[in-house]
Amino acid sequence: MEAAEFFQYVIAGLKSGSIYALVALGFTVVYGSTGIINFAQGEFFMLGGVLAVFFAGLGLPLPLAGIAAVIMTAAIGIAFERVALRPQRSASPIVLIIITIGGSMVFKSLARHLFGPDELTLAEFTPGPSIDVAGVAIERQALWVWGLTVIAVVVLAVLYRKTKLGRAMRASSISHDAARLMGIDTARVVMVSFGIAAALGALAGVAVTPLTQTAWDAGATIGVKGFAAAILGGLGNPVASVIGGLVLGLLESLSVAFVSSTYKDAISLVVLLVVLFVRPQGLFGRARREKV
Amino acid sequence: MTAIKATLRRLLRAPYSAVLLVGLLVAAVPLVSPERYVLRVMVYVGVNVIIIAGLALLFGYAGQISMGHAAFVGIGAYTSAYLVGPLGMPWLAGVAAGTLLAAAGGLVLALPALRLHGHYLAMATLGFAEIMHVVFREARHITGGNDGLGGIAYPEVAGYAIDTPLGMYLLVWGVAIAVLVVVANIVRSRPGRAMQALHATESGALACGVDTVSLKVRTFAFSAGLAGLGGALYAHSVGFISPTTFGLEQSVILVAMVVVGGTGSLAGPAIAAIALTLLPYADALIPGLSQGTVAVLQDWETDIYGIAMILVVIFAPAGIGGLIRRAWSRQPAGAGEVRT
Repeated sequence: MEAAEFFQYVIAGLKSGSIYALVALGFTVVYGSTGIINFAQGEFFMLGGVLAVFFAGLGLPLPLAGIAAVIMTAAIGIAFERVALRPQRSASPIVLIIITIGGSMVFKSLARHLFGPDELTLAEFTPGPSIDVAGVAIERQALWVWGLTVIAVVVLAVLYRKTKLGRAMRASSISHDAARLMGIDTARVVMVSFGIAAALGALAGVAVTPLTQTAWDAGATIGVKGFAAAILGGLGNPVASVIGGLVLGLLESLSVAFVSSTYKDAISLVVLLVVLFVRPQGLFGRARREKV
Repeated sequence: MTAIKATLRRLLRAPYSAVLLVGLLVAAVPLVSPERYVLRVMVYVGVNVIIIAGLALLFGYAGQISMGHAAFVGIGAYTSAYLVGPLGMPWLAGVAAGTLLAAAGGLVLALPALRLHGHYLAMATLGFAEIMHVVFREARHITGGNDGLGGIAYPEVAGYAIDTPLGMYLLVWGVAIAVLVVVANIVRSRPGRAMQALHATESGALACGVDTVSLKVRTFAFSAGLAGLGGALYAHSVGFISPTTFGLEQSVILVAMVVVGGTGSLAGPAIAAIALTLLPYADALIPGLSQGTVAVLQDWETDIYGIAMILVVIFAPAGIGGLIRRAWSRQPAGAGEVRT
């Protein structure tokens, strides 16, 4: 294999890897402040894509349509937390899993009712031919995907480190109860976490839809892959989630290059199972012993 | 009157109530409506009752979630269809092999997954099921890929082919009732009590001398085996299978049935399986229902499942099983049951 061809696969891997990273960040933000794994996270990705197509269809300029889709999905995430999850905050993990699964079924199905069963397309943000870098073709939209991922990560890092809200979120993730005793409004932290997670998922959906199209049923696959990325890095650690996403994207892309494309979708699942069974704390996590 | 009510109450409180209820219903259906369509829909319902009996044991009693049960259904269906069809094995052998292979799949998944709880177990089973789904799609020489596998042989026992809707109805429901009896017995005996202990607190169960590791593995394998049995029966009675039938959507619907039915109950999930499976075929149940209504129900099926699931865990965590207990027992609601 020539170098240019190899790097072409690397580019493709980093492109899907960024998307996995954004979805993984969504899992991590919610897990960090609530301990919940949100099975509806993939649906936020789907909602971002289909809502952007919907708003663009209304005649909104593309950037506005994208922003509107992200804001609307964040609002949906907050509403979901408020209506379905908050009344059950002290319930066992299984109850919370069931609620988020039920939510994902409803989101998905409503999207089909509202936006139809067909594949939806969105125009590229800046149309034009691919950029040629030393024989490697890079789609313009891929630059957008990377750019938006970097912006999202930086904004999230600043939010976590520099703002009062971010400190409250980090405190809640260390100990929910202690944070509450210190006067932190943990209910608000949880609500905001869901909003951020939904916005991150939606952003990924908006950014990648011009490349891959989207549809009402696009959420499940990306949800599983995003979770695989989050668990690969270490659930609850934002930086690790991003690395996990990129590594997963590269693994997938290089397996297509060197093995076969038939079982491409199985790669992330095998990674998921291996990490869960062998090292559930992830590559960068420290093992925690459960005390009785 | 009080004596009758007391007897009824005792019957309904026992796990056998599921068996009794279902048995009465089964006998009544062909008498009330011998139509082919109704019987075919009821075959499908029976298959789901078999699968749900296993999942109710695993999830409802032992508290171990499986988000991938449809994959075990698929393993049973494809194994039996392939062995009986292209390989020409006897029907009974095919079904037995499908059941055993699904159980073996459950065993293989259960062994490493034992370390996992709650969310992690859910994700691991989901990941396993998605891998199986990829296999169903890609192993074309066995599964026929996305186009599916058609012309699967009808059930044949001792040279006698069961190829009428009534025959298949009786076969599937005969198996379903046998499965319910077996599961009801398990629930009432030592393993059943151990499962409830495990559900309530794993360390507590361990301290009481329950071998939780072995119990979890056995329950998982048994439950997967029942899913495989249901899948094999489905393949031979419907005659066509394709990967979409065994996807994540179906796994989620199966979990929804157990949730709506209620944990720690067999009758509840059985009733939920019957009701939720019939939902998109409401015209088989209620004659004269307009096509439009049925179309709306089918279109909104997933929404109804999803919302039902959320409403049940929020407002009636004990599900249908809890409602039955409350109606027939003087105990306050919730007493004597293990909450999730």
